[in-house]
Amino acid sequence: MSNNVLHLENVTMQFGGVVAVDNFSMDINEGEIVSLIGPNGAGKTTAFNCVTGVYEPTNGLVEFYGKPIVRNHPQGKMKKGYLGQNGDMYLGEVISQTPDEITKLGIARTFQNIRLWKSMTVFENVLLAKHMNAKQNVFSATFRTNKKEEERMRRETLELLKQQGLDKYKDELATSLPYGLQRRLEIARALAAEPKLLLLDEPAAGMNPQETEELTAFIRQIRDDYNITIFLIEHHMNLVMDISDRIYVIEFGKEIAHGLPKEIQKNPKVIDAYLGG
Amino acid sequence: MLNEKKGISRGAIITLMIVLVVCILTIVLENTINPNSLLFTVIRKAAVYSLVAVTMNLLNGFTGLFSLGQAGFMLLGAYTYAILTIPTDVRDSIYYLFGGAGFHFSTVSFFEGIIGDSGVAGFISMILGVLIAMLVGGIVAAIVAYLIGLPVLRLKSDYLAIATLGFAEILRAIFQWDKLGKVTNGANALRGYPTFADFNIKNAQGITVLRLSSFIPILFAGICILIIILLINSSYGRAFKAIRDDEVAAEAMGINLAKHKMMSFIISSFFAGVGGALFAMFASTVQAKTFTSAMTYEIFLIVVIGGIGSISGSCIASFLYIACSEWWLRFLDNTQYINGNQLPLFKNGFRMVVFSVVIMIIVLFFRTGMMGDKELSDLFNKKRRKKVKADE
Repeated sequence: MSNNVLHLENVTMQFGGVVAVDNFSMDINEGEIVSLIGPNGAGKTTAFNCVTGVYEPTNGLVEFYGKPIVRNHPQGKMKKGYLGQNGDMYLGEVISQTPDEITKLGIARTFQNIRLWKSMTVFENVLLAKHMNAKQNVFSATFRTNKKEEERMRRETLELLKQQGLDKYKDELATSLPYGLQRRLEIARALAAEPKLLLLDEPAAGMNPQETEELTAFIRQIRDDYNITIFLIEHHMNLVMDISDRIYVIEFGKEIAHGLPKEIQKNPKVIDAYLGG
Repeated sequence: MLNEKKGISRGAIITLMIVLVVCILTIVLENTINPNSLLFTVIRKAAVYSLVAVTMNLLNGFTGLFSLGQAGFMLLGAYTYAILTIPTDVRDSIYYLFGGAGFHFSTVSFFEGIIGDSGVAGFISMILGVLIAMLVGGIVAAIVAYLIGLPVLRLKSDYLAIATLGFAEILRAIFQWDKLGKVTNGANALRGYPTFADFNIKNAQGITVLRLSSFIPILFAGICILIIILLINSSYGRAFKAIRDDEVAAEAMGINLAKHKMMSFIISSFFAGVGGALFAMFASTVQAKTFTSAMTYEIFLIVVIGGIGSISGSCIASFLYIACSEWWLRFLDNTQYINGNQLPLFKNGFRMVVFSVVIMIIVLFFRTGMMGDKELSDLFNKKRRKKVKADE
C-alpha cells in the first residue's frame, strides 16, 4: 500500500445555518489522481478551501502525510448552533493555518477563475512562486548581497517554463496569453512552489473539447514528471473519467459515492444526482 | 527590468545620466546665478517631496495599501531630527517658554565634542550628527509604524486610509500638547538645528566658496529613492506587487500577507521619517501645524499625477507640482493690469482655484497620470526596441 498523502476525517463546514460540507471523509494516496465531483453548489470548492486554509472547518481533521494540518471542533456560537455530526470527536487542540503556511508545507493550488498576477509577465508570475522558499531576507534581497539565490530562482523558473513550453511567452504579460495557456501558466506557477500535492480547481472550466483533451494529457504528464499527487475538482465528465484513479461524489455537502471511475459511472445515486430525480 | 542578464539596461543608464545632469546643473547654477532665486527653493522642496511621494507610492502603488498617514510619519522624522540636532548651547533659548529644554543631548554637539567644532572638523561633526539624527528619525517612524500597523493593517482600502489619516491627526495633536513642551516645544517652532544652508562650504573668513544647499537634498533623497527602487525590483518587491494584483493568489502561493504588508508599511514609514527630517532641514523650523492632512493630500496628488506605480513618475510630478505651486502659478495670486485696467479674478487664492481645476482635469481625463505604471527607463528601452525593429 502506498503512502497516504491527504486524509480528511469528518470535515464539516457550516456557514450560519447552512452546512456546506457535511461530515466528509476521504483519502488520497501518493501518486494518485483523485477527483471530486458533484452538481453545482454541492460544496466541492468549500471542501477544497478547508484543505488549503482559506476556510477553517467547523469540525473535523485534515492530515497531510500523517501530520495534522487542520483540526477544529465547534466553538463559540457554533457550539449551540452546530448541525453536523461528531461535534465532540475533535475536542481539545485546535490547529488552523493560513493558506501561505499550508502552501509552504507542500500543497499548491490553482483557482476556478484564473488568478494570475495581472501586471506581471509570465516569467515573473512563475518566479514569484519561488519567493517563499528563497533563502534571503529583505536586506540581502534589496542590496543584492545574495546574488546566487536570485540567480538560482531565475534559472529554475526558466527551466520550468521550458518544460511546460511556455518559455517563448516569458516576457509577455500573463493576462495577454490565450485562455488555455493561462490555465497552463497557473499550473506551472503552482508547480514552481515545488508541491507534493497539487490541487486543481476545475482546470478545464471554459475550455473547448480539444483543449480539454490536451489538458488531460498534460495533467497526467505532470503527475509522472514531478512525482506529485493530484486532487482535482471538475465538471467535464470526459476528463474526470479518463484521468482519475478514484472519484468521490458529493451532493449537498454529503458524500454519496466513491470508487473507481467505472463504478461511479454505474452508480444509480450518482446518475440520479446528475440527471435529477 | 528583466533584461538584467546584460547588467543594467540601457534605459536605466540613460535615466541615471539624466539624474546626474540634473545634479551637476544644480551645483553649477547655484554657484553662478542668484542663489536666492525661487528655482532653488523649488528644487529643495521638490527633492524632499519626491522622496515622500515615492514612499507613498511604495504603499499605494506597489503594495496596494491605501494609506494616508505620510504626514504623520514625516512629523515624527522631522521632530526627532530637530530635537536630536539642536546644539546644546542654544537649546534653552528655544525652549524658553517652557523654562528651558528637558532633553539636553545633541548629536551635533556630541560629535563636536569628539572631533572638534571649528573648520573642517566642525563640518564633519555636523554631517555625522545630521546623518545619525536622520537615521534615528526614520527608525522612530518605523517603530511607530510597526505599532500602528498591528491593528490597522487588518483593514482594507478606504478603512485603512481613514485609520492612518486619523493617526496622523492624533500625532499632530499630541506634539502640540503643552504638557510635552519640554521635549516638543508645544505649539512653538523648533529651530536652530542644521539646515541645507549649513552644507554650503565656507572658507576660513566665513565667505561661501561652494554652494551645495540645493544639491544635498537631491543627494539624500536620491540615495533613499535608489534603495526603494532596489527593493521594488527584488523578490520582495515582486511579492508586494503580487499582493496588490491579487491577494488571494499571493497567499495561495505562500506569501505571508501580514508579514509582507507590515514590511512594506515599515519601510515606507522609515523613508517618510527620513523625508520628514529632510523637510525640517528645508523649512528650517519644525512646527506640528505644518504636517496637516492637506500635506498628505498634496503628496497623494503628486503620486496620482505622476502615475500610481511609477517611481520616476512620482519624482517628475513632484518637481512639476512644486514648481507650479511655488513659482509658475504664483502670478495668479497678484493683482494684474492690462493697459492700466485691473483684471478681475486675479487676487489672493485664485492660484488654488486654477490648481484645483487642473487637478480635476487630470483626475478625470488622465487617470493613469503622466507615466501610468511605466518607468522612465522603460520608455527609453521601448524606443530602442522600436529602432531595432525599424533597422530590420
